[in-house]
Amino acid sequence: MMDLLQSIESSGFSQWVKQSGSLWAFPGILLAHTYGMAVLVGIIAGIDLRILGLMPAVPLAPLRRLMPLVWVAFWVNAVTGTMLLAADATSKMRNLDFGIKMAFIVLAVITQRVIQKRVFGDPDLDRQPFSSNAKMLAVASLVCWLGAITAGRLLAYVGNPGGL
Amino acid sequence: MIELLSNTSHVHLLLNHVPTTAFVVALALYVVALFNGNDVLKKIGLAMFFFIAAVTLATYTSGSAAEAWLRGTGPKSELPPNVISAAIHEHEDAALWATVLMELTGFFSWLGLWQWKSVRRLPAWNTPLVLVLAVLSFVTMSRAAFLGGHIHHIEIRPDVVERHKACEALLDAETKHPGSVPNAPENCPWQAAVDDVRASAEGGEAGDAGMPNMARRVGDFVIGHTWMWPTLETLHFVGLCMLFTVVLIVNLRLLGLLKIVPVPAVYQMLPIGMLGFAVNLVTGMLFFIGIPSQYNGNPVFYWKVVFILLGGLNVMYFMLVDYAWRTESGRDVSAGPKIAAASAIVIWVCVLYCGHMLPFIGNAF
Repeated sequence: MMDLLQSIESSGFSQWVKQSGSLWAFPGILLAHTYGMAVLVGIIAGIDLRILGLMPAVPLAPLRRLMPLVWVAFWVNAVTGTMLLAADATSKMRNLDFGIKMAFIVLAVITQRVIQKRVFGDPDLDRQPFSSNAKMLAVASLVCWLGAITAGRLLAYVGNPGGL
Repeated sequence: MIELLSNTSHVHLLLNHVPTTAFVVALALYVVALFNGNDVLKKIGLAMFFFIAAVTLATYTSGSAAEAWLRGTGPKSELPPNVISAAIHEHEDAALWATVLMELTGFFSWLGLWQWKSVRRLPAWNTPLVLVLAVLSFVTMSRAAFLGGHIHHIEIRPDVVERHKACEALLDAETKHPGSVPNAPENCPWQAAVDDVRASAEGGEAGDAGMPNMARRVGDFVIGHTWMWPTLETLHFVGLCMLFTVVLIVNLRLLGLLKIVPVPAVYQMLPIGMLGFAVNLVTGMLFFIGIPSQYNGNPVFYWKVVFILLGGLNVMYFMLVDYAWRTESGRDVSAGPKIAAASAIVIWVCVLYCGHMLPFIGNAF
């Protein structure tokens, strides 16, 4: 396993990401990851807060149209995240904080699928107040994304920071 | 012109008129509006408070860059002979207080304008609160400006004036009764009084002169705790998500996406965005006060502040344009607000870009 990670880390691509000094390499990939985070977490959190009762005048049903944008952002971050992981595979894979971040993201994505099915799939959406189940889901989603951001940001400080 | 603006000291000397002179105008406007019950004037006053608060950020940060310029970057560089370090520090602390109050004034002014449109009337507590904050801002900012004047007009600094007067008294006594004063000075140049003050400040370095000023103590608190920087960074990212999503959803609606959502509905989202901005303002200022040298003279930081100011102008435009916010479901807004909406997205993408690039193009972390 370690050999595999080692060989990924010493590949030409990983070396370019880590050491080329090009603004397109590490800084650019991380920038795309940040924009992706802002769109992904931002829109999802907006929807969660709406479920929790903020901004009552905003109808929720039309916001479903933002979901493709959310998933584009998700895949941008999956790809850029994999690139960043490849550049620092050996230490990230041994970093507990990285595991925590991944766990939060898996939980957040599952919560999101459930919200899409239960809340957006409800034919009475926008016609009656949200059930406490829906509210629980919204809270869970907020907590998971907040956890993912926190764990992600802390990757720069805990363990063996490979970059910034 | 570009040459001048690239030296942040010039920028500071230019910008320092905004929180002082322009603020007096805004405050006068606001007070007159309160007496006349003139709502239009009052809205303009609130919008001015908001924008001046935005400019104050640039004024504060450029001041730190101006200090760095004065002190020089070389290991042996020192302040010009007519500048006293304590004068800079007193000005810095006064400016920090004034900036905090100014930002509060700006925040509640914005909130007032927002509520005015959403609830159709201003809540009763907003007017007195903004008035009190504005007056406090005015008083503290005047003090900061007054102390700022002491940095280059050393001849009005009380301790220098006192020494100069003492010297002149000796000279006077000597002229009237020659020989009455031992070691009487031949003349009293201002520089002698300045050197005297500087020497006594350095002599007392171990004592109170060695005590860092308030801004530095706040900064030391930020960098002195290992958990502080990561925590602030995390909050900065959470604030960024809040701000960015509101910018996206609201402006995409104004641009015609999600037309089925009425504009007054997305208007309800604005406080979340402003709260995100407030979180980032506080955390960002703490980064800045923590390690100013990372940002002074860093071109990306300079541009970040410029884009934030543009963002402030953009918000001010939207706060004063009422009709766009009344657009119902299925309707388009007119060209003006659409252009402003598109520029808002561009502006905040640029702010995020500049912030992100601080460590890579500049030297911040």
